[in-house]
Amino acid sequence: MTTELGSKLFDIAYPLFQRISNDDFEYVYRGYFSHNITKKILFLADTNISKVTSQQTLQKRIYYIMVEGLQNITRHQDEIANLNTEKYPGIFAIQKNGERYYISTGNIVANENIPALKEKLDTINSLNPDELKKFHREMLTTGSMSDKGGAGLGLIEMSRKSGNKLLYSFEQLDDEYTYFYLQTLIPNDKNYGANDTEGQPTKGHSSLNSVKQLHKQMNNENLLLYFNGFFNQENLLSLLAIIKGRMNMPLTTIKVSNVMVEMLQNIIKHGNRRDSTSAGVSGVFFMGQTGKEIMLTSGNIIKNEAKDVIAERLEFVNGMSKDELSDYYDDILLDFDTADAKKTGLGFSDLRIKSDRPLKYRFMNINDDQQFYILQTAVTIKN
Amino acid sequence: MEKLIIEETEDTPEIILDPEQNIFKISKISVPENALDFYKPVLEWIKEYAERPNVQTVFEFDLEYVNTASSKQVIQVILQLQKVAEKSDVKVRWYYESIDEDMKALGNRYKKLVSVPFELVEIE
Repeated sequence: MTTELGSKLFDIAYPLFQRISNDDFEYVYRGYFSHNITKKILFLADTNISKVTSQQTLQKRIYYIMVEGLQNITRHQDEIANLNTEKYPGIFAIQKNGERYYISTGNIVANENIPALKEKLDTINSLNPDELKKFHREMLTTGSMSDKGGAGLGLIEMSRKSGNKLLYSFEQLDDEYTYFYLQTLIPNDKNYGANDTEGQPTKGHSSLNSVKQLHKQMNNENLLLYFNGFFNQENLLSLLAIIKGRMNMPLTTIKVSNVMVEMLQNIIKHGNRRDSTSAGVSGVFFMGQTGKEIMLTSGNIIKNEAKDVIAERLEFVNGMSKDELSDYYDDILLDFDTADAKKTGLGFSDLRIKSDRPLKYRFMNINDDQQFYILQTAVTIKN
Repeated sequence: MEKLIIEETEDTPEIILDPEQNIFKISKISVPENALDFYKPVLEWIKEYAERPNVQTVFEFDLEYVNTASSKQVIQVILQLQKVAEKSDVKVRWYYESIDEDMKALGNRYKKLVSVPFELVEIE
């Protein structure tokens, strides 16, 4: 049963989880950016930011820059419409690192467009806020950036709203195409206007280099979605909506959504905080695709004493035949003495029935009190 | 009897229990963390309705997502309808999207476990 990718994904769960600390987060989407998905990503990011900050101007600023960043991706996507975007999927990442937020995008551009793009970026980065404002007005009235003017305006706005320089990087793929990475650092209200770029960490999960590495890793493992942060109902619902946005495989999408509901609620109910400063239950969730399967992997912290109970329940559920499991499920449904579904392994049974394969799991010792608990299942792609 | 209307939220379904209009429907999404509390008033309402029900009661489930916690409460609702069936002509209709085999499977499971007429209705 163990596919090569499956075991690989087991191995990367904890390192991914460890990329961040405290109440930081990173949410990364990789794939095709439809209008619908773009909307859902915005919603997911927005609800999460509102959880960790009460600064409304900061929230608005982040939202605005996300919109511009996403539009930047879809615009480039349209320009290279003849290219198979499944082959070179773009990436969108929102990260929190301490007091700062980072919006990063990565997408394919044609090599011939790079000099003009670079010139725009360098021009924008060379201007002070007043000059930038003037430049913006000029662009609006003269439209001298011609047909690609929209992109130029978006970049100007990202720089203006963040009060920072735009960070960028190009990774050439071949004679025709290059990955264009763009990152905007958004300081909190306190540091706003201080042109914060000097404080840009060169280390940590949010450095542009780290985002590029992550994109490479997600390309290698064919991850479609990577979520590292808080698990709560709002995030579950937003993730569901994002998955649903990928409706090019409706049958699979519904199955994946149904499995995901149980998987993530399992974390919400049983998971622990990353540490005392975390604003919620922390965990990592990612989806990868092989030829025939969508692999779903979750990882989260549990207390030592929960380990044996979970393992026992999983073994019990995995040990049953399909028919036995179905009968067991009926029994739990009708057992009203245990009104609490979580005490009975109903969630695991449900996961096993829906994914139609044994549930794979692994525990890792973190310290004297805690374990890292990885759960994995898959859905066979059929349409 | 007073109708019971509960508006949908992000994770709980819309409930319409309206004897006057003869509409009994649970729809949209049911994935709350605490399904027990959410379904409590629904179960209490049906229990009371069972005493003096309409001649006919067509009870519809049109759900997009049902988590396991809710699935345990939904069967309670259906079992409560068995009581209603003592005085009313009860039919349960379970809608599922043609591409959602899990929702279909859940409907079939309920159908097998209960004694009220239970119809699965496929929608596009």
